[in-house]
Amino acid sequence: MAEHDDLASTVHDYLTRSYDCDRRRTLLGDGPGGDGTGSGWDAGLAAELAELGWYSVAVAECRGGIGATPADLGPLFEQYGRHLVIGPLLENSLLPALVEQIGPDPAGTPPALVDPGITDDRAAEIGSVSRTGRELTGTVAAARFAAQANVLVVLAGAAVCLVDPAAPGVRVEPIGSADPGTAFARVRLDAASADLVVTDGDLVGRIRAWSRILLACELDGLARGALERTVEHVGRREQFGRPIGGFQAVQHLAADMAARSTGLHNLCLATLADADGASTARLDLLASTVKAHAAQAAVGVCEDAIQLHGGMGFTTETDVSWYYRRALALRGWYGDEIELRHRIGAALLDPEGRM
Amino acid sequence: MSSTESELPESLPDFRARARAWLASTPPPEVPPDPDTRFTVLRRWQRTLFEAGWAGLAWSREAGGGGLTHAHHLVFVEELVRARAPQPIGLIGLEVVGPSIDRYGTDRQRRELLPRLLSGDDIWCQGFSEPEAGSDLASLRTRAVADGDDYLVSGQKIWTSWAHQAQWCALLVRTDTAVRKQAGISYLLVDMTSPGITTRPIRQMTGDQEFCEVFLDEVRVPRQNLLGAENEGWAIATHTLGSERGAATLRRRVELEVALDDAVDELGARGSLDGRARSAIGRAHIAMRVLDAQTRQTTARLLANTGPTPLDSVDKLVLNDVEQTVFAEIAGLLGPLRAVPGSRPAGLRSERWAHDHLYSRAASIYGGSAQIQRTIVAERLLGLPRG
Repeated sequence: MAEHDDLASTVHDYLTRSYDCDRRRTLLGDGPGGDGTGSGWDAGLAAELAELGWYSVAVAECRGGIGATPADLGPLFEQYGRHLVIGPLLENSLLPALVEQIGPDPAGTPPALVDPGITDDRAAEIGSVSRTGRELTGTVAAARFAAQANVLVVLAGAAVCLVDPAAPGVRVEPIGSADPGTAFARVRLDAASADLVVTDGDLVGRIRAWSRILLACELDGLARGALERTVEHVGRREQFGRPIGGFQAVQHLAADMAARSTGLHNLCLATLADADGASTARLDLLASTVKAHAAQAAVGVCEDAIQLHGGMGFTTETDVSWYYRRALALRGWYGDEIELRHRIGAALLDPEGRM
Repeated sequence: MSSTESELPESLPDFRARARAWLASTPPPEVPPDPDTRFTVLRRWQRTLFEAGWAGLAWSREAGGGGLTHAHHLVFVEELVRARAPQPIGLIGLEVVGPSIDRYGTDRQRRELLPRLLSGDDIWCQGFSEPEAGSDLASLRTRAVADGDDYLVSGQKIWTSWAHQAQWCALLVRTDTAVRKQAGISYLLVDMTSPGITTRPIRQMTGDQEFCEVFLDEVRVPRQNLLGAENEGWAIATHTLGSERGAATLRRRVELEVALDDAVDELGARGSLDGRARSAIGRAHIAMRVLDAQTRQTTARLLANTGPTPLDSVDKLVLNDVEQTVFAEIAGLLGPLRAVPGSRPAGLRSERWAHDHLYSRAASIYGGSAQIQRTIVAERLLGLPRG
């Protein structure tokens, strides 16, 4: 626990210094000449974080990492959210940690996770991939950072397949993104040959579960950041001759934000503590639960943050609008609260008949 | 730590195993719906717990307790709830009034009152709130005027659980009207058979009838029944309300956990696996995990004896929200048969879930309303300017 806190405060200090308001805004897309949404990708930032070793925290020591567990990534992701860090954080931190064949890239060039299973309810829109031996065919309508990646990690059924983006039969088409922190691409596979197929049954489940958990931690950080900005704002902004934070209507909304943000933070901590060494079914339940709650709580906290910022909250000139758009984008990735409630309910009411 | 406690207390896992074994061998009583019989049954249950050594686990041995730690007490609470056993009837005495008497009482008060409180021979009620002093408890008006060796007490109390069946009442009274409102309050121990006391039960929307109004008309209370010093009752009251809160939160968590397990069993037995049931149980489970995570922090603070903090108010807000979400989700599955007692829509027992859902609405009112907690969080945790 103490190590978690040390690492998190190191990350927080560094980001406060080096990822300041100007740089953050420029990367998010609000710099001079920006159209309001950045590309979600900055090669310089990715290389900088690789250099700092943050991507290698959960990679085994024998493969050049620090040798901590995926749970140790949680506090980092909270800081990434809190500071609105853009880029392939999940891809660069999690995939090398879980998939032995992927090494951390010194320049921060990410692997991409090409997963038609990011949603249950909208599966038809996302697409599917079928596999025969090493041969993959199908389409995934949106994959994060596929156009920047040096390897595609395609999840097909229970198999994890590593595919060279330049291989015959692979088409990666960049598409637009309304998420200020992420670049998307469409991936088409037409009898593309995977370099490697891992059919360890648990690996697909573990990648998805840890993605949910780390996205939840990032959402926790977004909620925390939005709350911090709001407390600062209502303590300073004056109307009717006094700070608006002295009005009970404002106080109670802020207190609710604090209660929800604290509740989410504690749930993230509890999940990280329980997840290491959990069985696959248990891990899946823990992950779905924390992601569902994070989706709802973080979006709600950001909405109240905008409300308490008044008109300024609706503009790109305050951070809260960026927190909100980021939270909305992460909300549905690997399931929002509505979708995941069904998943959790099914696991509890019918533990045998599922999946 | 006194010299008699040279041996280490029993380890928590051993203690838990012993509690579980005892609860398995001692079938808990069925709780009858009729309030009077219920009182008798639950009082007998307290006697059973007391005789087996489970009452006042964290109290000192001198006070008749178990001489164990708060952690042991919390483990027993958990096991009691998981065994679907009811709480002993004298909970207010055991968790609120008793610890105050133990800490602030005279030797004589402790000797005469505590053993009977533990055994359930004396049931205590807590006369704090008044019709005009709810959230603003310190503005209470019940007066106590010195008269020879006695006080003469007049006024009115409300929300006094079990007052109509209690033998004793912990009563907050005003003994000085000339000073700041918190500084003129005293804590009296009042024999409920004293002339001048009348009680009137209030029926709640759940159908239960544990609350009462208490009317005091020139009630004579011996001055030796003052707890602590005159005009220093406010500190005693806030100390005990604070220590009650953590334990109550933890108990409620286990109760909610058990309730959700029961609902899942009832739904599963009927094979009610439609989308609506899945969604409701999913949402209730998420809420329970939030509470579980929150109470890990509560437990840590309780065991470290950190004392009251504004984080207690965050706990309370989270607990309110979780409790109301869990029961609203489960009761929502009853559909139109909610209003038909004895029915089993989707396998769920309509009376139980309708009752528990109604009761959940009290969660954000008792023990400091949600509005009060929000103000505390805003001003003391977030540091916003005082309104």
